[in-house]
Amino acid sequence: MKTSLFIIIVLVSGAFAGLVHGTVNFAIVEPYLEQAIGIENQNLFASGEEEDTPEFWVEYEGYRTWQKSGQILAGVILGVSVGSLFGIVFALSRNALPGNNDIKKSLLLAGIMWFTLYIIPFLKYPANPPTVGEGETVILRSILYLSFIAISGFGAIGFYQLSKRLKNNKKVVALLGYGIFISAVFFAMPENPDKITAPMTLVNEFRLMSALGVTSFWASIGIILGLFWRKVFPQQETTHYS
Amino acid sequence: MSETRQINVSKSQVPKLAIIALGIIFAAGLFVVGFDQGHVFSLVYGEQAFTDLYIHELTHDMRHAAGFPCH
Repeated sequence: MKTSLFIIIVLVSGAFAGLVHGTVNFAIVEPYLEQAIGIENQNLFASGEEEDTPEFWVEYEGYRTWQKSGQILAGVILGVSVGSLFGIVFALSRNALPGNNDIKKSLLLAGIMWFTLYIIPFLKYPANPPTVGEGETVILRSILYLSFIAISGFGAIGFYQLSKRLKNNKKVVALLGYGIFISAVFFAMPENPDKITAPMTLVNEFRLMSALGVTSFWASIGIILGLFWRKVFPQQETTHYS
Repeated sequence: MSETRQINVSKSQVPKLAIIALGIIFAAGLFVVGFDQGHVFSLVYGEQAFTDLYIHELTHDMRHAAGFPCH
C-alpha cells in the first residue's frame, strides 16, 4: 500500500464527507441556530447586558456572517479530522470486517463508529443550541463529552478483541459485553450540569436536525472512502470461497 | 466428503507513517473545530487571541451542530 495514496484518499474522503455535513447543517440546522441566538439576544437585552441599538445589530450581523460562513469550512476541517480517524480504523480492521467488497465494509465500519462514537455519547450528552450552556462549565462539559466518546470507542475495541479469543458465540458476547459495560458507564457518568432554559420544542428539534447532519457525515464517509479504496487498491479486494 | 475452503485475505501492511500523520491530523482538526478558545492564534497574537476568538467564532455553528459543548 502506498503511503501517499492512502493518506490522500483518506483526506479527500473526509473533506467530501465534511462538505456534505456542512451543507446539510447549513440547510437544516442553521434555522434553529438563528432562533436560539434570537432568544439569546432577547435575554441579553432583558438583563441589560446589551442594548437594542443599531450599533449592536451591525456588530451582530458582522460576527453572525463570520459564524455562518464558517459552517461549511468547519465541516470540511472536521470531516478531514474525523475522516482521518476513520481511515486509520478502516485500514487496520478491513480484513476483519465482513463483506466481500470495500464499500460494504466501509459502510459497516461507518455504522459501528457512528453508533459507538456519536449515538451513544449523544444519548447521554445531546447537542444543545446557543442559549443552553454556561461559559463557566464548558471545560467540564468538554471533558465529560470527550471522556464518554473515548470510553465508548475503546470499550467497543476492547470487547471486540476479547470476542476474538472466545471460540463460540463471539459476536453475541462482544455485543452483550459492550452493552452492559456502556450502560453502566452511562449511568455512572455525571449529568450535564447546565439547566435548559430555552423552549424544549426548539431544543428537541435542533437535536434531531443536528443528529441528521452528523448521520449524513458518517453515511458519506462510509460510501466515499469505500469507493476510493476500491478504485485505488483494487488488488486488495478480499474474497471468500466456501 | 471433504470441503474446499479458500480465503484470500490481503496481507498488505498499513504504513505506520500514514497512521501517525493521520493521527496528528485527527487530533489537530478535532481541537480546532471542537475545543479551541483562542489557543491556536495565541501562538501568534498572544493574549489578544483569547478575546478575539476568531476560530471559536468561525467554528461556532458547526460546534453546536456537531454536538460539541459550547456556550
